[in-house]
Amino acid sequence: MLSKAAHGDVAAKKKKGPGALATAYLVIYNVVMTAGWLVIAVGLVRAYLARGSYHGLYYSIEKPLKFFQTGAILEVLSRVFLTWAVTHSVREVQSEDSVLLFVTAWTVTEIIRYSFYTFSLLNHLPYLIKWARYTFFIVLYPMGVTGELLTIYAALPYVQKTGLYSVTLPNKYNFSFDYYTFLILIMISYIPLFPQLYFHMIRQRKKVLGHAEDYSKVE
Amino acid sequence: MVDNPEPIFFTVIKTFSASISEEAEFVYSHFSSSSEEKSLRDDEILQSLPVGTTATMYFRDLGPQLGWTMVFLAECIGPLLTYLLFYFRVPYIYSHRYAFTSSPHPVVILACACHTFHYMKRLIETIFVHRFSHGTMPLRTIVRNCAYYWGFSAWLAYYINHPLYTPPSYGEIQINYALVMFVICELGNFSIHLTLNNIRGDGSRARRFPVPTKNPFTWLFFFVSCPNYTYEVGAWVSFSIMTQCLPVALYTLLGFIQMSIWAKGKHRAYIREFKDYPSLRMAIIPLIL
Repeated sequence: MLSKAAHGDVAAKKKKGPGALATAYLVIYNVVMTAGWLVIAVGLVRAYLARGSYHGLYYSIEKPLKFFQTGAILEVLSRVFLTWAVTHSVREVQSEDSVLLFVTAWTVTEIIRYSFYTFSLLNHLPYLIKWARYTFFIVLYPMGVTGELLTIYAALPYVQKTGLYSVTLPNKYNFSFDYYTFLILIMISYIPLFPQLYFHMIRQRKKVLGHAEDYSKVE
Repeated sequence: MVDNPEPIFFTVIKTFSASISEEAEFVYSHFSSSSEEKSLRDDEILQSLPVGTTATMYFRDLGPQLGWTMVFLAECIGPLLTYLLFYFRVPYIYSHRYAFTSSPHPVVILACACHTFHYMKRLIETIFVHRFSHGTMPLRTIVRNCAYYWGFSAWLAYYINHPLYTPPSYGEIQINYALVMFVICELGNFSIHLTLNNIRGDGSRARRFPVPTKNPFTWLFFFVSCPNYTYEVGAWVSFSIMTQCLPVALYTLLGFIQMSIWAKGKHRAYIREFKDYPSLRMAIIPLIL
């Protein structure tokens, strides 16, 4: 069970420096995006050299580009949203176990992913790191998603009571927004999104770890 | 086949291949190694293609498709009908005591008339005016587009016909000016559609770009390549001002962005095709965009 000290730590982190977590995440995000674009650039150059022309280059990197961008956007959005729009905005959830759950999951995931890209760029990828990247997610993804969902769920009664971020009728611009309903819709959206990402990673794992040879470049 | 003087039109080949797949797009390969994506038109002649004595044809099954007419009809019917559901306050939309009541504000009736007129006009144009190319759209895209149009019109109709709707801040002046602008833009949009229609109708194979006619509404052609989009944006801006409703403004903004992309594409195509294309013209907003 998680101790009170751990709760206090997480809560204190949120209250003292909300910027720290977001800043750290943005730094990590930038490094990852750079790495990702390098991967795509390498892919483009290789495709160009193989074909001898510019035609059809987009098609050679289309799939990884699309998946990487969509996945990256989804993950970034989900993390920024969780950090600012839920955990920071609703003080009452800050001492919940669920927050520690998803923060831990994210942290471990990011450390592994960061190392993975760094080593790949240096052309010296230890099998252990590759194995970790394609194996830890099996536990970390569900853990992170559970933490996120529980946190949003915990925030719901407070959002409803205080009408946080909500706009009601009547008003001059004839517009309304119910943050409570919005949060529920977000939770529902996990149902189609999470399995897709999860099973994609599982398929990737079979492909990448299934072979005996050690790849020194990123796919 | 090479000595045959009869030109072989591409439709002949397509007909023979119809048994392979319902709706296929034919391309030919410029490079021997890859399938370069250049789609062939029905009236292309086989002998004019830059291939040797052996032509390799690739085709791609595009999946279930709908012709443009059906697409436009599907996209227009939805908003037309869903708006009316909200206007008549069909039960279960608003709370029970408001079912089948009507709003005390005249602008709400006006908004319904304008919205309905806009989509009726579109339906009529789709059936009687537009001459679509024989292109089609995949079913998936149509479902997605319909979800967008139907959903958005339901969302904005919800607010305009709501019991707690607030009429525009500047009252009658705002509503009337907006109405006049709306009517002008609808007339303008219709004029442009007629003009574009007449370009194709002349029978001559020579391609021409649209130019202003005696109709003052077409004088916008001096300034933009796609005045139909300009007028369309204008109509929605008027509607936003008339109803003073944020969701309408949001819909207008998204529509403007999409139409600007289309207009820019059309504008570039005109410039590429016609050497004497007027340099004053912009794509959608005179002098600006």
